[in-house]
Amino acid sequence: MKKQWKIAGKAGKAVVLALYFIFMVFPLYWMVITSLKPRNEIFALPLQYWPKHISFENYVQIFKISKFQIYLGNSLFISLVAAAIVLVVTILSGYVLARFSFRGASQLMLAFFITQMIPLFIGFSTLYMMMSRMGLLNKQASLILMYTVGLVPFCTIMLRGFFQRIPSSLEEAAMIDGCSRLSALWRVIIPVMMPGISATFIFAFVQNWNELFMAIMFIDNETSKTLPVAMNSFITKFDIDWGSMSAATVLSVIPTVILFAICQRFIVEGLTQGAVKG
Amino acid sequence: MRKATKWMALPMVTVLAVGSLSACSSSGTQKAADGGKAAPAKVNLKMIESLTSPARTEVIKKMIASFEAANPNIKVELISPPLEGADNKISTMLNAREDLDVLEVRDVTVKQFVTNKWIADLSSYTNAWSGYKDLNANAIAMANYINNTPYFIPYGLYEKMLFYRKDWFDAKGLTPPKTWDELYKDAKALTDPANNRFGYSFRGGSGADGYIVDLLRDFNGSNVNPDDAMFLKSGATIFSTPEAKQGLTMYANLYKDGSPKDSVNWAFAEQVQGFVSGTTAMLIQDPDTIDPVSQKLGQGTWATAPMPVGPTGISHYKVGAAGWGVTSYSKHPNEAWKLIEFLSSPEQNAIFTKTAGVIPIHNSASVDKSFTQGAYKPYIDMANDPAHFVSYKPETDYKGFGEWRKIVQQDMQAVLLNHLSIDDALKKWDAYWINEKKQGK
Amino acid sequence: MKPFRLNRTQTFIFLSLLPAVLLVFGFTYFPILKGIDVAFRNYSLFNLTDVHYVGLDNFRAVMGTPQFGTILKNTALWVIISLVFQFAIGFLLALLMRKGFRGRGIYQGFVFYSWALSGFLIGIIFRWLFNGQIGVINDLLLNAGIITERIGFLSDPKWAMFSVIVANIWYGVAFFAIMLLAALQSVPSELYEAADIDGASGFSQLFNVTIPYIMPTILSTVALRVIWIFNFPDLIYGMTNGGPAGSTHILTTYMLDKIIFSGDYGQASAIGIICIIILLLFLVFYMFATKAEKAGDF
Repeated sequence: MKKQWKIAGKAGKAVVLALYFIFMVFPLYWMVITSLKPRNEIFALPLQYWPKHISFENYVQIFKISKFQIYLGNSLFISLVAAAIVLVVTILSGYVLARFSFRGASQLMLAFFITQMIPLFIGFSTLYMMMSRMGLLNKQASLILMYTVGLVPFCTIMLRGFFQRIPSSLEEAAMIDGCSRLSALWRVIIPVMMPGISATFIFAFVQNWNELFMAIMFIDNETSKTLPVAMNSFITKFDIDWGSMSAATVLSVIPTVILFAICQRFIVEGLTQGAVKG
Repeated sequence: MRKATKWMALPMVTVLAVGSLSACSSSGTQKAADGGKAAPAKVNLKMIESLTSPARTEVIKKMIASFEAANPNIKVELISPPLEGADNKISTMLNAREDLDVLEVRDVTVKQFVTNKWIADLSSYTNAWSGYKDLNANAIAMANYINNTPYFIPYGLYEKMLFYRKDWFDAKGLTPPKTWDELYKDAKALTDPANNRFGYSFRGGSGADGYIVDLLRDFNGSNVNPDDAMFLKSGATIFSTPEAKQGLTMYANLYKDGSPKDSVNWAFAEQVQGFVSGTTAMLIQDPDTIDPVSQKLGQGTWATAPMPVGPTGISHYKVGAAGWGVTSYSKHPNEAWKLIEFLSSPEQNAIFTKTAGVIPIHNSASVDKSFTQGAYKPYIDMANDPAHFVSYKPETDYKGFGEWRKIVQQDMQAVLLNHLSIDDALKKWDAYWINEKKQGK
Repeated sequence: MKPFRLNRTQTFIFLSLLPAVLLVFGFTYFPILKGIDVAFRNYSLFNLTDVHYVGLDNFRAVMGTPQFGTILKNTALWVIISLVFQFAIGFLLALLMRKGFRGRGIYQGFVFYSWALSGFLIGIIFRWLFNGQIGVINDLLLNAGIITERIGFLSDPKWAMFSVIVANIWYGVAFFAIMLLAALQSVPSELYEAADIDGASGFSQLFNVTIPYIMPTILSTVALRVIWIFNFPDLIYGMTNGGPAGSTHILTTYMLDKIIFSGDYGQASAIGIICIIILLLFLVFYMFATKAEKAGDF
C-alpha cells in the first residue's frame, strides 16, 4: 500500500514539474525558434512552430552590426562586480544585525525595508545631479555604485534571516580556538551559509543583469552600454525588430541558466553542511 | 578545508571575469571622460538624438564622419539612447545642464525646451546663413513654430497620407476613397473576419489622439480656425458641433464594422504591422512608413493616395517636424551651429531624408524624382490643392497638450468599448479645451 | 565581559554596518527628500521656470480623477492575485525540488530564467504572444479547438487584467522558489528524523516542522514581494501601457503616465508618496498581524 502511494506521489511530482516546465519554457522556445527563422519568415502566417529554414542571420546581425559581444561583456562585468561588492557589504551588515542587539538595530532594519517602497524616479533628478557632481556620469562605476545601493537593503534583510538560523555556538567555538570574529565568520559561518549566499548572489546578479532605467540615463557612450539598453534599441518607431530581439533574448538568458546550474552545486553542498549540530 | 576552497571558486570566477573584461570596457569610458576638457584647439561636441533607430543612427554617424573630415578641429560624440526613454533622458540632461551641444528637437518638445530656456535662439545664425532661404515654406514655418523665432532647423517634415492595398481594391472593383464616408464604405466592403481581413488599420492605442482630432476638423470643414485649430472661427471648440458628433459616430463605426477588434489598443507598430502582414486594407500614416511597407509588400500590391476629405470637401493636415537645435548653455555654440548647417545642406539632407523617410526641407528637392513620383506623389498633389487641403498650426504648444493626448486616447477607447457615450466624450473634450484656452499657452 | 572586549565588539558592529548605512542613506534617503518636496510644487517639465508651492493641489488632482477608484482596485487585484499564485506555485516548486533529482540544476535554470529578463522585455514578449491577431497563444488555442474566435487578450478590458497578471505570475514565481528552496535546505535533518520517529505524516511534517522553521523567510519574502509587485509598472507598461481605456492601470503605471505624457513631476511625486503611505500602512498592519508568529524579522 505504502509503496503504491510513493509511486503515485513520484508520478504526481513529475507531472507537476513537467507542466510547470512547459509553462515556463514556452516563451523561451518561441524566442529560440523566432531567432532561428529567416527575417522574412518571422511574421509569416500561418505561424510556424518550427522554422522552415533554419537561419543564423539574426545572430550574425547582432554580433556583426550591433556589436553584442561588447554589451554582453559590459553587462557581465557590471553585474558581477556589483553583486560581489553587495555580498561583501551585506554579509557584514546582515551578520551584525543577526548576531547583536544594539540600540537602533530594529529602526535600521525598518529603514532598509522602507527603501523598497520608494519608487525609483522620486528623487531621480537629484541622484542624476549627484552622479554628475561626482563625475560618474557616463562611467560604468555609476551603475556599479547604484546597483550596489539598490541591493544593499534587500540582501541585508535576506542574509540576516539566514544568519539567524545558524547557531552562534558555531563561531563561538571557533573564537575560543583563537580565531578573530572576522575569521570565524569567514571560515566557519560562511561555508555553512552557502545556500543562502548563493541565492542572494544569484538574486543580486540578476537584478543588475536586467536593470534598464539607470543604464539608459547614466551611460551615453556606445562602448559602455549594457545589454538591456542595447536590446531596447531594437524597439523602433515602426516595429520591434523581433529577429534581433529574440536572438538577443536567447543570449541574455544563457549566462543566468549557467549561473543557476553552477550555484546548484553550492546549494547542494550547503545542504550537507547545513545539517551540522543543531 | 575542502569546502572552503570550493566556495572560493565563486569570487575567483568574478575576479577572472573582471580582469578579462575590464580591459575593453574601461578604454571606452576613458575616452568619453576626457570629453569637454580637451585642448582649446580641438573642440568636442556632444550631440543627442531622440527618434533613434539603428539604421538612422548609422546614417547620422556617416554624416558626422564627413563633417569631421571637413572640420578636423571638431569632434562630435553622438549619444543614441533607445527610442523609449530618449526624450526623458534628454530633458533630464538639459535640466541638469549636463554637457550637450546639439540635440534633436521635435514639434512636441520644442515648446517645453524654449519655455525652460534649454535651447538657444538661432536667428543670429540663420540671418547669416545663405542656405536658410532655400528651405521650403513648411520647413521655415516649423523652425519658427514657437514665438516666430528659429529654435531648430528641421531635418525633415511629416505629413499623413493614405496607404491602400491596390490588389484588394482592384479585386473588388473599388477605387481609393476620396472622402471619409467612402473610406468607411470601402473598409466595410473589404472586411472579412472569417479570412482575418479587415478594411482599416485603426489606431486605438498610444497616439490615437491626432487621428481623432484631424477627423473632427475635417467634419467641421471650413469653420475651423487654422491658426488655433482646436477651435472654430467662432471661438467654440471643434468638439461642440453636430458635425463633430457625426464624425465621431462615423469613426466609431469604422472601428466596429471595418477594423480588427484588437485594434482598439493598436499603437504605431501594430497599425503598420497589420497593414504589411496582409490583415488590413488601408492605413493612414506618415512618409516614414513607405520604406517598411515597400520592403514587406510586393510592388503593385499597394499604392498611396491623398488624405480623405470631410463632408464639405475639406481635409486638414498638419505638418510635423523634427530637427536639430543648440543648447542654450553650449560652450561651443558656433561649432554646434556649423554642424547643424552642415547637416541641413541639400546634399546631406537628401541622404538623411531618404533613410529616415521624411519629406525634405529644401525646395530644390521637390525636383528630385523620388519625391515627385511614386509613393510620395500624394504630398505634391495635396500641396497643389490648397482649396481642399488646408494646413493648420499644431496645438502642441498648449500646456495641457501632453495630458490631452492621453485623455482623448483613453476616452476614445472607452467609447469603442461602449463604456462612454459619444455625447459624453465630446462634452468632456469640449470642456477640456475651453479650460485650456483660459489657461493659455 | 570586560569593557575592553565590549569596545572591540562595538567597533566591529560599527565598521560592519558603516558601508551599508552610508550607501543607503547617501544614495537613497538623501535624494528622496528632494523628491518629496517636488510633490508639493507646481513642477511640470513644460514650465520649470515657475515651480512654486501649491500645497496639496497635486494630491487633490491625482485623487480627484474619476479613474482613481479603478486604479486602486486594479492595484489591489494586481498585487493580491499575483502574490497568491507566485507564492503558492513557488512554494510547491521549492518543496518538489528540495529532495533533488537528476538534472535539477538544468531544470532550475530553465524554470528560473524568467527572473533574469527585464520587466519591460517580458512585457513586450507577452504583448506579442497575447496579440489578438498574430499572437501565438490565440493560434495555439484555435488549433487545439479550445476557442473558435480569437480573443483580444490585450484589447478586451475583460481579458487585459487577466493577461498582465498571468505574465506577472510567470515572471515572479522564480523569486519565491529560489528563496524558499534556499530556506528549506537549511532545515536541519534532525528535525525531520525526530518527526519520523514520532510517525508524523508528510503533511503534518510540513505544517509542524518545515513551515514553522522557515516562517521568518516566508514572512519577509511575502512582505517584500507585496512591495515589489506594487512597485512594478514595467511589465504592464510594456504590455498594455495601462490600456485599453485605462483598464489595466495600477498606481505606478499611472505615475509613469504622468511623467511620460504630461511631464508632470509634481503629480507623479504625489502618486509616489501615496504609494509609500499605502505600503507603510500595509507594513504596520502586516507586522502587527504576524507578531503572534514571532516573526519580528524586520
